Amino acid sequence: MRAASLVLGLGRSDRGDDGVGPAVVGRIESRLPRGSGVRVLAQEDPTTLLDLWEGHDHVVLVDAVVTGDPAGTLHRFDVGADAPPLPADTLARGARAGTHAFGLATTVELGRALHRLPARVVVVGVEAGCLDLGAALSPPVAASLEAAAELVWREVASDVPGCAG
Amino acid sequence: MNHRLTDGGQVMHVDTLARVEGEGAMHIELRDGRVIDVQLRIYEPPRFYEAFLRGRAWTEPPDITARICGICPVAYQMSACWAIEHACGVTVPEAIRLMRRLLYCGEWIESHALHVYLLHAPDFLGYDGAVDLAADHPSVVETGLRLKKAGNQVMTVVGGRSIHPVNVRVGGFHRMPRTSELSALRPVLEQALEDALATLRLVSGFDFPDMEQPHEYVALRPEVGYPIEEGRVVTSSGRGFDVRDFPLHLDEYQVPHSHALHARLDGGTRGPYVVGPLARYTLNHDRLGDLARDAAREGGLAAECRNPFRSIVVRAVELVEAVSEALRILDVWTDGAAPSVPVPPRAGEGFGASEAPRGILFHRYVLDADGVIRDAQIVPPTSQNQAGVEADLRALVEGWADLDDHALQHRCEQAIRNYDPCISCATHFLDLSVDRS
Repeated sequence: MRAASLVLGLGRSDRGDDGVGPAVVGRIESRLPRGSGVRVLAQEDPTTLLDLWEGHDHVVLVDAVVTGDPAGTLHRFDVGADAPPLPADTLARGARAGTHAFGLATTVELGRALHRLPARVVVVGVEAGCLDLGAALSPPVAASLEAAAELVWREVASDVPGCAG
Repeated sequence: MNHRLTDGGQVMHVDTLARVEGEGAMHIELRDGRVIDVQLRIYEPPRFYEAFLRGRAWTEPPDITARICGICPVAYQMSACWAIEHACGVTVPEAIRLMRRLLYCGEWIESHALHVYLLHAPDFLGYDGAVDLAADHPSVVETGLRLKKAGNQVMTVVGGRSIHPVNVRVGGFHRMPRTSELSALRPVLEQALEDALATLRLVSGFDFPDMEQPHEYVALRPEVGYPIEEGRVVTSSGRGFDVRDFPLHLDEYQVPHSHALHARLDGGTRGPYVVGPLARYTLNHDRLGDLARDAAREGGLAAECRNPFRSIVVRAVELVEAVSEALRILDVWTDGAAPSVPVPPRAGEGFGASEAPRGILFHRYVLDADGVIRDAQIVPPTSQNQAGVEADLRALVEGWADLDDHALQHRCEQAIRNYDPCISCATHFLDLSVDRS
């Protein structure tokens, strides 16, 4: 398996569990050795993804999701151009946590329509509990950070020299 | 979701209003084809930031309030800077005003491109959204994405990054971009100008429902140029006053169905007032540059525009204006200007306003002698437009009563999108519900 070349956390760190994406990729960044070749970013506006992932063929996105599962539940979706289609409403159900209407799910589908979707895109979703302005991560989501980071790490580490998964 | 009522009435309820910034709800109730009630419902904790600002230092509002919205952070930064500088009795030099205007042009380009192409154009072209539009007309969507990226690039060069610019401070900027950095924007903006003109040609060919609304228009009007980063307040009823007097005319009030305060001007005796592109254009079309004025003519706009559905054409004209203005600033900019001026604190009250892409954004701060914020007031454009949106829906729904529920819902959502409501600013989270008999 090739290593992810771009790891991107989506969300706002001052909106409760919406900040889980940046929190998880922060942990990944601190574990990567110098010169790993992996690009790690935190971003709030999903529409910038189409430019950010240009030139990368393996991307891991970390975002808060709302599906009705208990807060802190982890989800993993393969949504890249090489992946089989997801059931119709999978991402529609699971991508309502963004603070703007043009969210991750729409951006992925827009990338697919414009043939600008990387071959492998893995979405690691963390079920959000609290999205209040000014709130910190809720306890269940804070408790899931390590497991979420481990899930992302498995996508990242296998081919990075010195990063035995 | 539609419900038949036991009294023969009917309710249409749309839980999640698609393609607006943020989420909220709209509830419409009809009896015998007559509109009984229209409510724009906004749910989030509305005044969080005003409360959060109390007790903070006078230097902090530009960074704190920029967090309110990922689409219009520059608007928050600029209105906050003007208000704090006003409270402290400081006037910034022309070079700082000019660089603020350039940064703001980037935000207008980014925000208008997003709304025109990804959120609003699909309504007029018969698509459910931008993804379906992209499948059939990829080059149209690519034009929009290229424009949006150009705006982001301006914000990155001037503001340090595109989403929440970090280079803005009370008194100016942390550092001024050099002409060598700015010149890299020129080819980007030259392409953006072509794309903006193409946008105008595209949207002016859309079919627009017949509608004229009598709302009072309120916009800023600067001493020269089209209103972007500053100006006095002017209205279509012929009134004009300084930003500091806005609170004397503005009355914010709570309605039970929305967490965002509604607003009325001079007691609401002249009906709802609205801010945003239609108001800006109608009150300032004489201030457009030559290219944008020609574009407006080509787009079929008269000096006054009262059809909310044509707001997409006005946004295209404003795209031409913002790109042209950014290029003009690049032409006249020279290195050497001080990035900021000192803003020592003093006790007082300050007022600031600028034209966010969606309309006037007003800030007011009260400082003590140490610069600690004792009171803060933020009046975003979407809050001010709530009554106008409701009035438009009242006017439209009766004329559309013969449409089936799906078509009616789609038309209502389109009418709401005319205002590019940023629920993220007004509070957060919007939903749509219609109840009809």
